Amino acid sequence: MKNFLRSGNPYIWLTGGTLTACLLMISGLVVLIMINGFGIFWPRKIVQFTLQDGTVILGEVAKRESVPHQKDAYRTKVKVGNRDVYGMDFRWIDNAEIVSQTYPVHALTFERREWGNLYGFLHGLRLDGGVKPLETESMASLLGESHALYKKIRYIEKKEIGNINYRMEKIRLELKRLTLLQPSEKIQKRAAALNTKIEHLEKIYREKEDTLAGFYVKAREKEVVVLLADGREKMVPVFQIVRISMPNEMGVFAKMRFYISKFWEFIWGEPREANTEGGVFPAIFGTVMMVLIMSIAVVPLGVLTAVYLKEYAGDSFISRLVRISVSNLAGVPSIVFGVFGLGFFIYFFGGGIDKLFFSESLPAPTYGTGGILWAALTLSLLTVPVVVVATEEGLSSVPKALREASYALGATKIETLWKVVIPQATPGILTGTILAMARAAGEVAPLMITGVVKLAPSLPIDSHFPYIHLERKFMHLGFHIYDVGFQSPNVEAAIPMVYTTTLVLLFTVLTLNLTAIVVRNKLKKWYNTGAM
Amino acid sequence: MKSLKRRKIADTAARWAIRFGGAVTVLVILALFVFIFLEVYPLLQGAMVTKEDAYSVHGTVMSVGVDDHQEVAYVMYNNGTVEFISLHDGVILKRYHVAIPNGSVITSADKDRNRLILGTSDGKIFTVSITFSESFEGDRRAVIPEVSEECWIPLDNQKGGIHCVTSRGDDSTTVTAVYTTDNHAVLIASEAEKTLVGNGEKKEIQKDITGLFIKQGLNQPSLPVFHLSQKEHTGGLAKGEPEVVQPADNPLGTLTEQRSKTEITSLALDLFMENLYAGTPSGELFHINIRDRENPFLVETVKVSESAVTALGFLLGDVSLVVGDASGGVHVWMQVRDELSSSGWALKKVHTLASHGAPVMGIDASQRDKGFVTAAADGTIHLNHATSEQTLLKFATDAQASTLSFSPRANGIMIADAKGRLLQWHITNPHPETTLKTLFGRVWYEGYEKPEFVWQSTGGTDDFEPKLSLTPLIFGTIKGTIYALIIAVPIGIFAALYTSQFLHNSLKIIKPVIEIMAALPSVILGFLAGLWLAPFMERIFPAIIIMPFFITLSIVVAIFCWKILPVFGKGWYRYGIEAIFLIPFIIGAVYISIRLGGGYEALFLEGDYREWLSHILGLPYDQRNALLVGIAMGFAVIPLIFTISEDAMSNVPNSLRSASLALGATPWQTAVRVVLPTASPGIFSAVMIGFGRAVGETMIVLMATGNTPIMDWNLFNGFRALSANIAVEIPEAPHGGTLYRVLFLASLLLFVTTFVVNTVAETVRQRMKLRYSKL
Repeated sequence: MKNFLRSGNPYIWLTGGTLTACLLMISGLVVLIMINGFGIFWPRKIVQFTLQDGTVILGEVAKRESVPHQKDAYRTKVKVGNRDVYGMDFRWIDNAEIVSQTYPVHALTFERREWGNLYGFLHGLRLDGGVKPLETESMASLLGESHALYKKIRYIEKKEIGNINYRMEKIRLELKRLTLLQPSEKIQKRAAALNTKIEHLEKIYREKEDTLAGFYVKAREKEVVVLLADGREKMVPVFQIVRISMPNEMGVFAKMRFYISKFWEFIWGEPREANTEGGVFPAIFGTVMMVLIMSIAVVPLGVLTAVYLKEYAGDSFISRLVRISVSNLAGVPSIVFGVFGLGFFIYFFGGGIDKLFFSESLPAPTYGTGGILWAALTLSLLTVPVVVVATEEGLSSVPKALREASYALGATKIETLWKVVIPQATPGILTGTILAMARAAGEVAPLMITGVVKLAPSLPIDSHFPYIHLERKFMHLGFHIYDVGFQSPNVEAAIPMVYTTTLVLLFTVLTLNLTAIVVRNKLKKWYNTGAM
Repeated sequence: MKSLKRRKIADTAARWAIRFGGAVTVLVILALFVFIFLEVYPLLQGAMVTKEDAYSVHGTVMSVGVDDHQEVAYVMYNNGTVEFISLHDGVILKRYHVAIPNGSVITSADKDRNRLILGTSDGKIFTVSITFSESFEGDRRAVIPEVSEECWIPLDNQKGGIHCVTSRGDDSTTVTAVYTTDNHAVLIASEAEKTLVGNGEKKEIQKDITGLFIKQGLNQPSLPVFHLSQKEHTGGLAKGEPEVVQPADNPLGTLTEQRSKTEITSLALDLFMENLYAGTPSGELFHINIRDRENPFLVETVKVSESAVTALGFLLGDVSLVVGDASGGVHVWMQVRDELSSSGWALKKVHTLASHGAPVMGIDASQRDKGFVTAAADGTIHLNHATSEQTLLKFATDAQASTLSFSPRANGIMIADAKGRLLQWHITNPHPETTLKTLFGRVWYEGYEKPEFVWQSTGGTDDFEPKLSLTPLIFGTIKGTIYALIIAVPIGIFAALYTSQFLHNSLKIIKPVIEIMAALPSVILGFLAGLWLAPFMERIFPAIIIMPFFITLSIVVAIFCWKILPVFGKGWYRYGIEAIFLIPFIIGAVYISIRLGGGYEALFLEGDYREWLSHILGLPYDQRNALLVGIAMGFAVIPLIFTISEDAMSNVPNSLRSASLALGATPWQTAVRVVLPTASPGIFSAVMIGFGRAVGETMIVLMATGNTPIMDWNLFNGFRALSANIAVEIPEAPHGGTLYRVLFLASLLLFVTTFVVNTVAETVRQRMKLRYSKL
């Protein structure tokens, strides 16, 4: 034993233990996110608790834990929903108080556009002042109708009225610009023409509003009467209902269908209720677009630097300076880039653009405020080193023989580079680009101050000329996590959404990284087995 | 086929283009530094005079003032005439006459926002309100001055002319204190009784408070005024104890001075209409509480100067009192909590400003911040800021100022001097509140008991004093970094050592797994730390204390199992799979510690660890604390340290290891005595880079701490780091403002720190590479 100690083998075990700790930490984290992220959309059973004092509680079991400082005492956290009735989503009950616990077959989960979930039993339909009984089956057609109506309303609100507003805003800016010019007859004529246009648009606007008002009246016509757990009746307009489910009755396939439809809504839908329900499509879209713009900016810069370092620089003072700069760019905190982006890109550069080209809308800034372009440029500075390092690796793995062959054929240096070396180093550049994208997708701090918002009114790409609006603010998955998890008014109810968003972000980042690793390994294999 | 010449030109052009491209990164780093520095630089600049103007006036001027835009000035002459002068061309826009009795002149004046209080030579007090309203004709702004006379109050029984006057008022109440030429101090209060039906009757009180100022000789019996107030206050207000005239507090009082009356040179009343201050020629300051108008009482007398008090004035918010004396000294005094004094409060000197060479004649405070202007008898004028204790501007005129005014937007100073001139200076004074001392040192802020490091950039009220000490934030950053490194450095280095030296080749796939750990977005780590780990840790805290013990124990058990199980120790899995073998043991250890945590708490932590922590160790426990940040940030830093030091260790030339092993050293001895020292520069740079990452990490500290700027090494409470502070506050900071620039300074600090650390790390690493290539 003494020998064993002296050989140092126990210490090897200890160091092995630290590696094990690392592995457990990372796998634990991934598993934690997976369980919480994937589990959320699976329909949970609705439980009906009867307590000793006679109260009846209907809801989903959210958590069960032991009561601190008490032996064998447990308590249950029940998601009771019905926020508009009870004031809060969750309720703790002591397990000791529970008299009975049943799973009523006809209990329904109503997912609503506002106020979160409602749990209860279907009682009837109220139409024209009278209540008539209603079967769960006939709800489907009612919901179908209301969804169609909802789509129509959204279309008018978002597309048509949005369009009119956009055009009116343009004309107003044009008018404002005209007032800044020297007055002349021509300008007056133009202004008059613009004014008639605005009047025309306003007329259309009023018509659309009338139609909308009609739709809204229709939307309020039908109401479902729901019997709550405590015996109260609650009217829920059909229009307010997104989805109705009967989790206690569902089979496995029905649950799977429900799960898939929820997940689909999550990926492709728009957020509802201050981002705590619905989907994250705008955030995914914003992230992807920001990352793409960033890679357009970062790849040329990174590749040029790498080519300089590898092919042109040698070991000069300048090249050492460049190397130190690159490693520093990698080490400077991301928030500092954010501050720089705010001061330089937004206030200095964007402010300048506004003064030159968008003076008519001042003092409201166009480019002089956070936007997707500035966020992308800021991040491109941050990710340059990633591209440089990977490209350098790619360049140095190109065999010398290839270059020499090219020179021997009389090609100049740039021709050799352009036609021989760089094509061969493409996987390296690709690796770098992918890694840079992964880094940018996960970065939040600099974005928080250069253009990310919790809820962007419109996507950076739409049907209005010039189609791509680089000055717009955008949503981002990482910021979404921060915002919903830490800034939302109802954090408890929002946490499931945060886990799912985290899962999406984690999946994106890990996929990008794994792709980069695969591409890099391909590159290595290519040269190891290649004839060169 | 392109011509040779064109190809050559293309080649040269490309070379230059690529060189330029290479230099861009250097430019970016430079631009980062220069740009951020340029934004920070104005913080430490003083104020500047941008324009000087002079106008002429005709007579003795009692008061001057300007409108918000510095377009129209008013001048109040001692004969009751008010003139409005356009500051564009010097034309007199309007003239108004206050109806003071014939033969009398105005002898003193005080300003209370737009109210002017005038005392006359025959003992009358007039209140005039002067307002400037704006109207727009198209784009042109016109400032319209208006005067209205509110009221005039005669003193009850004629006591001579008014020597000095001070007044404050609000919608319903006005309180005025005067000191007359025949040495009487009178308090005049007018209160409108609020009834349900509008304003009821006005209640007026005039009270002679001269007695309060009478110095009490040691052998003299107490004066009747005090007896009176003593009777009335017995058992009531503790503050009203008559022993407030404390000989101990008042060194002059110990001298048996037989003077019965004290002269008063200057009066100041605060906007709460509770505290009246009076300065004397002997350099004392009387503090009189007039909350109860009928029964004002002396709170304390303080010796504030060796020479006479010549001017008094409140700073914005009416908490700090500026005292100017005859020798030119300018000090700021303030009520500070004091256990020793009977009222619990005592007047203390908190700031000292540059002194004038001659008696201070006038003080006017800014309506924007804690800045003020002082003018002295020798014609010197100082622009000061109380919090930062700096005198931003000094200028001299050749004549004494009879009255001065600091413009409403704190961007101009106006004086009327003895030579019949009205002088105006436009100033820019963008960042008066910042000096190196206010940014990094202890500052005595309003309402604090002593100078302290405080970060509190915004407040709820207009008269808020910004507290911009970066020290608590720097402290927070260091605290978070240190705790993160304590966790990350051993784990990272040991795991790297194991991976590079002992891990079986077939398990090298573990390395990219940990590299992927480095790619985890910090927002995910922060979210899990803040919303999952924080409540979890709070619940199982005792288990965390005993966890290290159980994990070590589990490793011992694992070694034992390895020894006795015949399958292991043979074939390829003889060595190098320890890390995998340990997995179930460590999981088991974690599980067991969580199960036993409750029992441990009951047995050793008195049943409640929070109680125990605060009782035995005196440490409060916050849910989001430094330990949590240490773990989460450690998580982010471990892969960095791991990757770089693993690289350094596995690049140690094999010849060295072989030599060591050949000499009979065990693998562990080789690893510790050969590999570690050889790779130490690499490990050093790994730690440095890890440090740089932890210093600048934003999202984790933002989400996993409470973000309270406290300075306390306690592992179980939170902090506020520089980076998180920037992220939280810069979206709200107006462009170009002081806060904006201070936040830029914070990022400059982060930038410089990480720049130094990274440059050192990179240089060390390059050196090491060179050495390896030579070995």
